[in-house]
Amino acid sequence: MKQELQLKLQAYLDGELPDGEARPVAGLLAQDAEARALLAELKNTRAALAGFEADIKLPESREFYWSKIEREIERQSAMIEPERKFASPFASFRRILAPVCAIAILVIVGLVAIRQVDFSDRRGLEVKAEFVDGGALTYRDHTQGLTLVWLPYPAESEAALTDTDDIL
Amino acid sequence: MSDNLSSRLPRVCVVLFLLCATAMAAGAGEIKLEAQLIWGTTNSVSPNPNHKPAQKDVERKLQEQPFKWKHYFEVNRVTLTVPDGEQKGAPVSKSCSIQVKNLGGQKVEVTLIGKGKETGKITQALPKGELLVVGGNAENATAWFVVLKQAE
Repeated sequence: MKQELQLKLQAYLDGELPDGEARPVAGLLAQDAEARALLAELKNTRAALAGFEADIKLPESREFYWSKIEREIERQSAMIEPERKFASPFASFRRILAPVCAIAILVIVGLVAIRQVDFSDRRGLEVKAEFVDGGALTYRDHTQGLTLVWLPYPAESEAALTDTDDIL
Repeated sequence: MSDNLSSRLPRVCVVLFLLCATAMAAGAGEIKLEAQLIWGTTNSVSPNPNHKPAQKDVERKLQEQPFKWKHYFEVNRVTLTVPDGEQKGAPVSKSCSIQVKNLGGQKVEVTLIGKGKETGKITQALPKGELLVVGGNAENATAWFVVLKQAE
């Protein structure tokens, strides 16, 4: 069926055709079963659409109405998301890994720091000095953190550790 | 963005962990020492232009001792790094040298050698800031000191 005839049938149904054109269309419908079928289909479609043409009014503004829908979608997504995360064992392992690593780093940094800082009681610092000559004196200054071993030999002594030549 | 950060955080943590562990392993048990030959005198100026004033902390600690010498000059300084359980030696002057054995836990055994002969041995912990000083008389009522300390 030609498109022109289809449009005429639509116009006929809508009562938009003038009498001069309506009569041939009515004659065609009496003879042409396909045209009658199309007209019947058009009538059914119009009847079906008529039910949806009611002027539905939203109880609030359009923006507010859609924002409510958006919020509801977000709320439901948030409820689904934790279930997904929990479902992955790797994801939960990663969640644990980060704080465990952070704690491990803090422990290591602490150990390194402790290695740098001396907590030993210097008052209890043990000094063991053994000298070939029994005249060596060992003195401990706890306040200054200093151990002094004094070799009271004359400068020219064979037992002296260093020569004046070494110094001057 | 927060997802990106949370996915990278474990990797960053692991890298930092490895760096720290490596740094710790690198410095484990090793002790770095400075041995200084110091000359003590009552004169404020040394006749030897190569002498430098002693390090401030060394000078201050020696000045706190009941010595008559108030001025201290650095004649020579050597640095030695001794791994845990090992022994290393270094000459402090022409006739004096030291052997240091790292006993672990910052404890050292220092052997003093003067004119080729072992003069004595001192064993003690030498934490940072601690000085081990061996001294004796020098000519013209001056004094020599061998100062051993942990390097900064």
